[in-house]
Amino acid sequence: MSEESKIPGHYFVLSLLKNLFSRTLRASNNVPRHVGFIMDGNRRWARKNDIEVKDGHEAGFHSMSRILELCYEAGVHTATVYAFSIENFKRSKYEVDSLMDLAQRRIRQITENGELTDKYGIRVRVIGDISLLDKDVLKDIQDATERTKNNTRATLNICFPYTGREEVVHSMKEVITENYPLEEINEGLIDSHLYTGGLPPLDLLIRTSGVSRLSDFMIWQGSKRGVTIELLDCLWPEFGPLKMGWILLKFAFKKSYSNNKEVIDEDDGEEDEEDEDEEGSADKKKYT
Amino acid sequence: MTMTEAHAIKTKYLNGNGKFVVDNGNADMTGSTGSSFHIPPPAASRMKGGSANTKRRTVQAISKSIFVDNRNINTSSTIKSQNDKNNNKATTTAVSSNTFWKSENTNYFKFTFYKIVLAILFFMFGIFRYGQLQYNKSKLKILDLLYNPSNTPQLIRQDVVKLNKIPSRLAAILEVKPIGDVGGGLKGILNDASELVSWTISAGVKHLSLYDYDGVLQKNTDELRNAIYEHLSIYYGPANVPNFAIRIPHFNKVLYNKKGQGDIKSKVAIEVSLLSNRDGRETIVDLTRTMAELCSNKELNVDDITVDLVDTELKQLVGQEPDLLLYFGPSLDLQGYPPWHIRLTEFFWEEDNNQVTYSVFIRGLKQYAGCKVNVGK
Repeated sequence: MSEESKIPGHYFVLSLLKNLFSRTLRASNNVPRHVGFIMDGNRRWARKNDIEVKDGHEAGFHSMSRILELCYEAGVHTATVYAFSIENFKRSKYEVDSLMDLAQRRIRQITENGELTDKYGIRVRVIGDISLLDKDVLKDIQDATERTKNNTRATLNICFPYTGREEVVHSMKEVITENYPLEEINEGLIDSHLYTGGLPPLDLLIRTSGVSRLSDFMIWQGSKRGVTIELLDCLWPEFGPLKMGWILLKFAFKKSYSNNKEVIDEDDGEEDEEDEDEEGSADKKKYT
Repeated sequence: MTMTEAHAIKTKYLNGNGKFVVDNGNADMTGSTGSSFHIPPPAASRMKGGSANTKRRTVQAISKSIFVDNRNINTSSTIKSQNDKNNNKATTTAVSSNTFWKSENTNYFKFTFYKIVLAILFFMFGIFRYGQLQYNKSKLKILDLLYNPSNTPQLIRQDVVKLNKIPSRLAAILEVKPIGDVGGGLKGILNDASELVSWTISAGVKHLSLYDYDGVLQKNTDELRNAIYEHLSIYYGPANVPNFAIRIPHFNKVLYNKKGQGDIKSKVAIEVSLLSNRDGRETIVDLTRTMAELCSNKELNVDDITVDLVDTELKQLVGQEPDLLLYFGPSLDLQGYPPWHIRLTEFFWEEDNNQVTYSVFIRGLKQYAGCKVNVGK
């Protein structure tokens, strides 16, 4: 969508279309509430285009902000992006430092420009085992969270440094230290003590660069029944709003079908209706 | 109960002139009293529907979602969202999806306008989707013809020998399908499972985890063992059926070969683990409970709980992480597969596929080996 064009009013028309599209999707009421992104392929993209790795990451960041803009516009409440894995600490000192530096700049960029966060009322949260980070990075994170903590319309979770397993163990420990009575410990309790606790449940998980693995990202949330996982063949900087829009449309189409299917099935079914089934479809209706 | 009975009868009725999908005679299956064919309610509800009248139902469902949805008209939305909040209190902070319409004070015309645009958009997407579906279906049919094991381990061996690496642990997600469909009902899933076991043995993979959400396989181990035995004797001949072990981590049980053949503890060709939703999040919850108890008794320190400790425990309770996970459904949905065990697992599935076929199996192995598999994409 960002191609250069000499036609006057090109950008205006594009943004108008984008607006129309996202509002239309909103009207479907079947937009995912929580989207997770594994932004893979920045380095490969840089190598492919013969530019520096740093610029590849930069391009990745731009593509991220454009995609997030579309998501929030279309009514997505929470987006979670995988920025840095705890496993990445195992890379060379030089690389870790440059990645840290980059993430730090990204976080600053997001909040200082304030464009994205103010326009959509985004609250920025950094989730993960932040005790592993340096002091000055921590300070930046605190600043970013502090600046945006009063925004309520949308949330952006930056996973830094994060692994899904660490998140689960962290939640288990929290539950244990809070001394709940044994019979009160259940799935919901663990759910609410995850870093993503209190946010809408994950509906859609997107991974780029053709790798079909979760790589320890949101394993607890992503393995639930009904979560759509999209694995794309393109590299992250090539993944633009157009492709994102397509995925959202696909999601909304599928969702509005499956939400209503049960209801219609029941209308069709002759005699074998059970109370349980009716309850189930009532639940579904709630989200319709 | 009435429902499952009704289903059993219906099935008999449906398959009256063909083979019986459900046999009313095997009362020892689950040991339930009233109905011989008993499947727990969640599974039973999934058996409804099926592929009859799919097109009509799709169109109906989509149009309903576009037009017969009045919750956004301002008067009702506030009440609804309040209800939503009350219901969701425990799990989420209930961000209802209709805040947009409230906040921007949209009038009815604007709302209708977007609904009409949406209808057009969905209509166009629907046409595209129909074409895509037909394309994918015919692609799968061609692939099925290309890769056909014809019940011979040698052919599978030949396919696998070309690969430069094979997974040491394989997992598959199976589903109980509506009884009216091809490969539906309990017989269907047993058949799928034993086919998979045969292919896996032939491919030389030593560990296979079979997952189904409701644990239907776990509850019908005797039938499963018989079905596997039958399949293996077709593949290898009745004289040299390979030994197999069936492990049910949740009940901490290991069974060998066909029922009644005793515990042959000699070398087994394959170990099959049966998993269900119970082995996933619930098991992690159980572990938390146990650890909480130990902590309150001062037998365990909270700081000693690490990723490694939890990993060791869960490996014991559920098993090892698989290298490759095959999903035989139309679009990837992990169905509650144990979350701890899919950290680095590769996934493979075919779009719009709904059958457990050898072509999916072998193409999954090919993807894992790093071959280019996207034929025709």
